[in-house]
Amino acid sequence: MSYLLTQLANGLSYGLVLGLIAVGFVIVFTATGVLNFAHGSVLLAGAYLVAVLQPTVGFWAAAAVGIAGAALLGVLINAVLVRNLAEANPGTAAILMLGVDILLLTELTRRIGNRVIPMGAPWGADRVEFAGVSLPTSRALAALVAVVLFAALWFLFARTRTGVAMRAAAADGDTASLMGIRLSRTGAAGWALAGALAAIAGIFLASFPAPGVAPTVALSAFAAIPAWVLGGFDSVVGAIVGGLVVGVATALAVGYEAELHVLGSGFGEVVPYLVMILVLLVRPSGLFGSKEAVRV
Amino acid sequence: MPDPILTVDDLAVAYDGAVQALRGVSLRVDTGSVVAVLGSNGAGKTTLLRAISRSLGAVGGAVTAGTIRFQGEDLARRDASWVVRAGLVQAPEGRRIFRDLTVEDNLRAGGYTVRDAVARKEAADRVFDLFPILAERRHQRGGLLSGGQQQMLAMGRALMTSPTLLLLDEPSLGLAPQLVEQIGDIIAQIHAQGTSVLLIEQNAAMGLRVADRAYVLEVGAVAAEGSSAELAATDDIRDRYLGVSVAAPAADAPPAADAPAAPDAPAPPAPAPGAVHLQRSSAADARQLRVADLTVRFGGITALADVSFTVEAGSIHALIGPNGAGKSTCINVLGGAYRATSGTVHYGDQVLSTLPAHRIADLGIARTFQNISLSLDASVEDNLLVGRHRVMRAGTLSQALRLPRARREERAERDAVRRIAALLGIERLLDRSTHTLSYGDRKRVELGRALAAEPTLLLLDEPVAGMTHGESTVMADAIRAVQQELGLSVILVEHDMPFVMGLAERVTVLDFGRCIAEGTPREVQRDPEVLRAYLGTEAAA
Repeated sequence: MSYLLTQLANGLSYGLVLGLIAVGFVIVFTATGVLNFAHGSVLLAGAYLVAVLQPTVGFWAAAAVGIAGAALLGVLINAVLVRNLAEANPGTAAILMLGVDILLLTELTRRIGNRVIPMGAPWGADRVEFAGVSLPTSRALAALVAVVLFAALWFLFARTRTGVAMRAAAADGDTASLMGIRLSRTGAAGWALAGALAAIAGIFLASFPAPGVAPTVALSAFAAIPAWVLGGFDSVVGAIVGGLVVGVATALAVGYEAELHVLGSGFGEVVPYLVMILVLLVRPSGLFGSKEAVRV
Repeated sequence: MPDPILTVDDLAVAYDGAVQALRGVSLRVDTGSVVAVLGSNGAGKTTLLRAISRSLGAVGGAVTAGTIRFQGEDLARRDASWVVRAGLVQAPEGRRIFRDLTVEDNLRAGGYTVRDAVARKEAADRVFDLFPILAERRHQRGGLLSGGQQQMLAMGRALMTSPTLLLLDEPSLGLAPQLVEQIGDIIAQIHAQGTSVLLIEQNAAMGLRVADRAYVLEVGAVAAEGSSAELAATDDIRDRYLGVSVAAPAADAPPAADAPAAPDAPAPPAPAPGAVHLQRSSAADARQLRVADLTVRFGGITALADVSFTVEAGSIHALIGPNGAGKSTCINVLGGAYRATSGTVHYGDQVLSTLPAHRIADLGIARTFQNISLSLDASVEDNLLVGRHRVMRAGTLSQALRLPRARREERAERDAVRRIAALLGIERLLDRSTHTLSYGDRKRVELGRALAAEPTLLLLDEPVAGMTHGESTVMADAIRAVQQELGLSVILVEHDMPFVMGLAERVTVLDFGRCIAEGTPREVQRDPEVLRAYLGTEAAA
């Protein structure tokens, strides 16, 4: 029983971190209409900055630089590449992002080489025990930080002027600009927010108990894509729930791999996609997606 | 003479670098006045407002000559955001509220540029004073409001910045007569609070009532200007924009397009009935449509309750009633977009209410939409050809291989589409990309697409919304011509009373989802219940 609970707790923590990444996909998509396949390399860039700077400036300063750097990278991609494409087919922007992802990933892989740059254990290497559940402190903290960030996002979108402007711009950009809302600003804000969230997720994914920053960290963003899609593409809540579903399913598949050995090893890696396919079979527009049910 | 708050000099605007939408337009709005711009569809009214609010770019337009000055400041190098901050706000055509945002958040988005929280609060209070219904429904999503409430929300949203000049694009579009009066009163009230207003209004009677001055725009140029009283007294304006009074049923009124037109403003071409021959490729006949005890519920809301009516084969039947009465819902059930909760619809001996939309289309039932639903990037001709889908016989393979049979069919189809376009007066638009068309022209393309399907029953949801009186007369003639030539039945939903009364043989009046009256136009117009619920006091006078 406690094994199951431990796996569940691990899954929830992982799922919340995936949620941070998936929310970034949603925000970029609603703010600028782009399927941001470069999200993974932005995440890696942020984590890389933190790991490289950490020995010289200390963890907190490095984290601040890494988060700001990833946000800035997102803003740059948007300003240089995406804004010029405003009139083009959304498919063009998606393919362009794949290209950006490959370029960034290649450059980061070249810099990292065969190393795994240690992120260390900024929150210590001990574990918390609670009701028979044993979880590394860092994982518990990751979950806590993610929840706090989600609450902050809710506050941003529901209560602040900027957040309401971002939602208005996402709903109908042309009309929003008639209200004096600058679409270039809301777009940049979306990309910055997504980049920052990705970098924070990257820090948690690369620090203890994980060994450190390697190019494979970028792949975790791919696990967030099913979370994003099954949540419903344009829903922040959906992305969070999607992250949780994928996280828990993955953790259970990994935790019970021995029992599931008929399915072969490494089953956990395909679980996100399997879950996505199952959800979309039942609900084609995702768990929380807008159903395009317009009044005719 | 008071200072002008807005001056437009010799303005020219082109779309996609080619289509000239405005040429040499000059106008002025004096501080503290209300100015109306009248004109037919495609005359460039919306283009003018978009040029002023610096939002032409989003629709592919650009100012090619002339200047616009707001409070003395040249707007040439200013963007939409600057203009709003300077106190000039536009409420766009078709309301365009944020449907998924609550009423309150819609208003907050409108007040985005106001940095001072206290000022924002005061503006919100003023808006709630002006539109108490918005305060009542502040936590509801905008998309759940009725048409009239959505218009109030669009106006309230624009007022959140406390603008000095408010641009309103067709505030009465698609609203019931009673609500049109109310919107007119509200504009007068906004004006009384010190805001200058530049108003585009298809309902010329309302526009001229609230405005001090008016301009008439025709084919991208100013055709007439003057005080509202002067213009209202002009014969040409009366014929083309004001029309006959609502109270007089205009069964055989002469088409206004025959009236002498101003020399530089050609009247829309009136189709000569009989000159255009639309042949049917199949010999289907219209059948009787019977709606029995139709009830439709969405969640907890009952949109239609036990509605029954019968449309005889080959007749024109109108559904009228206030916004939110359930008229569009009814059309949507007949066309298969919505499902009936209970009750039945029979078309001849077929039960419609259980069929999917494409099977209903196969039965020869075609429709137009209230919120226009066209492929915006395709040409008008292609949009019309889509309507031919039902009658085209060549398969995908023979079309792809361009076999002679398919080519022959395509030629024949293009001819058929051309005839339909000629009938509706949109022949010259066939090659235009649909997104460059005005609202009213899009309405005509929609009707054309529906006609292209060679229907036996035509469902028209507000076919003349956003059209001038002259244009709606032309539209009525076109509908009557096809109806007689093809012997089809027509069900139409419309707020333009002269149009309904001149065209329909029978009228069903809905209010709050219930049928409150049915009869000939003459009977319905005298029904006290209908006057109370829908037509309002002015029509009764």
